Amino acid sequence: MPDQDEMDGLFAMARARRMEPSPDLMARILADAAAVQRRAVPVVAPLAVRRRGWLAGLAGVFGGFGGLAGVGGAAVAGLVLGFVQPAPVTQVADVLLGVQAVSVDLVPTTETWMTGE
Amino acid sequence: MPRDRIDELTDEALLALYAQGDGAAARELAGRLVPRLLGYAGRVLGDRTEAEDVAQEAMLRLWRAAAGWRAGEAQVSTWAYRVVTNLCTDRLRQRGRRGPVGLDDAPEVADGAAGAEAGLIEADRMAALDAALAELPDRQRQALVLRHLEGLSNPEIAEAMDIGVEAVESLTARAKRALTALLAGRRGALGYGEGA
Repeated sequence: MPDQDEMDGLFAMARARRMEPSPDLMARILADAAAVQRRAVPVVAPLAVRRRGWLAGLAGVFGGFGGLAGVGGAAVAGLVLGFVQPAPVTQVADVLLGVQAVSVDLVPTTETWMTGE
Repeated sequence: MPRDRIDELTDEALLALYAQGDGAAARELAGRLVPRLLGYAGRVLGDRTEAEDVAQEAMLRLWRAAAGWRAGEAQVSTWAYRVVTNLCTDRLRQRGRRGPVGLDDAPEVADGAAGAEAGLIEADRMAALDAALAELPDRQRQALVLRHLEGLSNPEIAEAMDIGVEAVESLTARAKRALTALLAGRRGALGYGEGA
């Protein structure tokens, strides 16, 4: 029966005869590593989007900053038309709706102040 | 990161670098771990092709675990040995009791400087060792290979095999006794001469 020293010598010999990985195996393992790294990239992207702030998020709803500017411009134009009420607008309302549009001065004029009404 | 610095990093630091997209860290870590995992799986399974599949699968699981790796929770190499242990156990269960290890499956000799006669004696001894290892129960073989061929400590083996340290001590002691008895009938192949 092998004694303790012989067994230790046998184990040491086995440790020295390490099974070396083939270049093909190492290439497969590193290809796996690269593939896992590539798949990990999209996980980071949504975090970057969330960090852009509320204004960018609002612009995203309207299809970007160009869309947001267009919506803002239309809102301002509507307000102006509402206050000024130019003649062509009331004429178009007469033709399309068949009713007499009445203009109302929302902004007081100097005459209003002069007559005291 | 420069090559002369990357080899000074711990396995855990390399894994963290890999998770940040460093390909050189993956190469260094694979260079350290794969030979050990392959050697362990090869001794336990007795089949190089299967051992390569197991080593590749264990490394793939390590790459996937890298992003969520919690520092200090586990040693990277012990974690990898544990994965290999589980994969080997699954394969051994699937195929039932494995057959004896053939010479074709024996590890390649890294050092060819030894003389022809000494090389033959060494090859005979390794073949006798592999054949005796194949006779051991699976768990005893795993514990003995981790302790005496891979050089892990008993607590590391306990973690790799998911058992207590006392169970490791019992397994390795029984495995060594059984292996010694099996090799007693192969003294001629071992080149120790008859007797004792």
